[in-house]
Amino acid sequence: MTNFVAALAVVLRKELVDGFRDRRSLISVLAPLALLPLLFYVAMDQASESVERARQIKIPVVGMEHARELIGWLDQQAGIEIQQGPDQPREAVRNGDVDFALVIPEDFAERFAGSKTAEVEIIVEGMDRSLDRSVSRVRDLIRGYGRGIADQRLIVRGISPEVARPVRVETLELATQQQRTARLIGFMPLLLVMGIFVGGLQVAIDSTAGERERGSLEPLLVIPAPRLSIIGGKWLAATAFSLASALLTAAMVGIGLEFSPLQRLGLRIELDGGVMALAVAVILPLAFSVTALQMVVATMARSYKEAQSYVSFLMLLPMLPLILTMDSEIEDAIWRLMVPVLGQQQLIQDAMGGEGVALVDFAVTALSTAAFAGVCLWLTSHLFRRERIVFGR
Amino acid sequence: MIEVRGLRKCFGDVIAVDDVSFEARNGEVTALLGENGAGKTTTLRSIYGLIQPDAGEVRVDGVDGIAQPQSARRGLGVLSEARGLYPRLTAREHMRYFAHLQGLGRSETETRCEDLVELLGMGDFADRRAAGLSHGENTKVALARALLHDPANILLDEPTTGLDVMSTRAVRELIVQLRERGKCVVFSSHVMQEVAAVSDRIVVVSAGRVIASGTPAELRRSTGLDDLEDVFVALTGHSGARG
Repeated sequence: MTNFVAALAVVLRKELVDGFRDRRSLISVLAPLALLPLLFYVAMDQASESVERARQIKIPVVGMEHARELIGWLDQQAGIEIQQGPDQPREAVRNGDVDFALVIPEDFAERFAGSKTAEVEIIVEGMDRSLDRSVSRVRDLIRGYGRGIADQRLIVRGISPEVARPVRVETLELATQQQRTARLIGFMPLLLVMGIFVGGLQVAIDSTAGERERGSLEPLLVIPAPRLSIIGGKWLAATAFSLASALLTAAMVGIGLEFSPLQRLGLRIELDGGVMALAVAVILPLAFSVTALQMVVATMARSYKEAQSYVSFLMLLPMLPLILTMDSEIEDAIWRLMVPVLGQQQLIQDAMGGEGVALVDFAVTALSTAAFAGVCLWLTSHLFRRERIVFGR
Repeated sequence: MIEVRGLRKCFGDVIAVDDVSFEARNGEVTALLGENGAGKTTTLRSIYGLIQPDAGEVRVDGVDGIAQPQSARRGLGVLSEARGLYPRLTAREHMRYFAHLQGLGRSETETRCEDLVELLGMGDFADRRAAGLSHGENTKVALARALLHDPANILLDEPTTGLDVMSTRAVRELIVQLRERGKCVVFSSHVMQEVAAVSDRIVVVSAGRVIASGTPAELRRSTGLDDLEDVFVALTGHSGARG
């Protein structure tokens, strides 16, 4: 037993030193991480800009004199400012002089007075998605105005407005502020899982397929140390890098959120340190099984390059369910807790939703993840016994 | 002391080693002589337990190498066919790594490292990273790595392949020194002169079989030839190999 632990510690130390000296690989992991807060800021800034633009809207109006009442009403609405529109609205919009224009035709007043449907036009380029919010706000306002007028006309004629509105849709928003927040940063598990995968990959490949390719595996296996302790040392080294990478990712996301213009988005995200820490803590055990899986796959590969492509491909497997469920809430299920990645995703969602994480759930996930890692390590040590694997035939 | 009896190993339909038997004694140098692909490497790998033979027996100082490969390896120092180094570790770090893996203590490791650096003439490059080492320097580090724990039995798979004259000489001197210290040395080679220069016993292997064995004198007598290279050619059945 002491022999086992001693050999494991020696291998762990060597692989850590070796991994740290592999500058090129370290930089390839660290550089994208350093850019994370910047990406974050840009994404949030754009989102908040379009929200803000929708909130403070200037409406260039052509033919204002034809609908003084409507324009007057619009002008009173919060965040709306009426402007004199350009003489040639179509050209002006096309040239980008104005974002969009509201055009009121000459016959508006006449049709309006005659209780006929009076038309207004919103001229918009249609390509600039960031205007969608503004335009739909204006559209909603004018519709609302129209509905008010319609109700008045019906009441004057002795008809209840309800007759003209057979169905009414009410949207009840049930999500709490924190759940909405959770959804907004629903990509956080994805980033953390990526951090875990990317961090340990280099050591996992270098210490298996790489070790064989450079011809150092045979001398290593001649050492009378238990195979499992050698593999265990390699695995723990890869896991250490994986964990470090995940923690760095979390820190970078934290920095990104801290400096992002979230308040402007109307989201009061209290970056509760406790919740964040819980979310990170919940996902970290995943590193142990991810590196074990990377090692068994890299060991099976015939060459270093082959190992690299297999292990990179491996990253897509857990990404798929994460991306598919990123926007929506997933239902709690025991089977999900038992599947690595999916289990952690559910726990993170619980943590970020402010509901807390049940200790039992955490235990189930951690145990199944540990079992998965154990199977992978056992498989790897088994593979290291195969002549075909050791000598790369 | 290494005993090999009736060793047999097939890879698919190919019989790599067929009924190989020999004995390598302490204080003697035993050479496995044969062409490339004769089965030397497979034989050696069976002794240090990375290949599971289909039949036969391996004993290292009396320990069953097939049933208890782990214990048998304790008494072995091996320069395997693959002798790659870690490019980002220095020569000395390689020695420390393997010494610690062999269970040597800290101070013991340092003295052994110093001894080997001196013995193999590694002073110039002991603290350089392996990425910049020459082929000869690389082989010396691999040799040092195999000898750190001062094993009683030493297996060297083609130790001089690809080395220049000076390095080849250093390896030969090392082999002789090991013999003088009472070690059991087994090395494989396809170079006749080298085998003739240092071996006490020669096991000639061809196509997986032992076709002759004995001291150089015995081999000369049995074939009636004076030159060992002629002996080798005669034994392996090739004719006219030496113009």
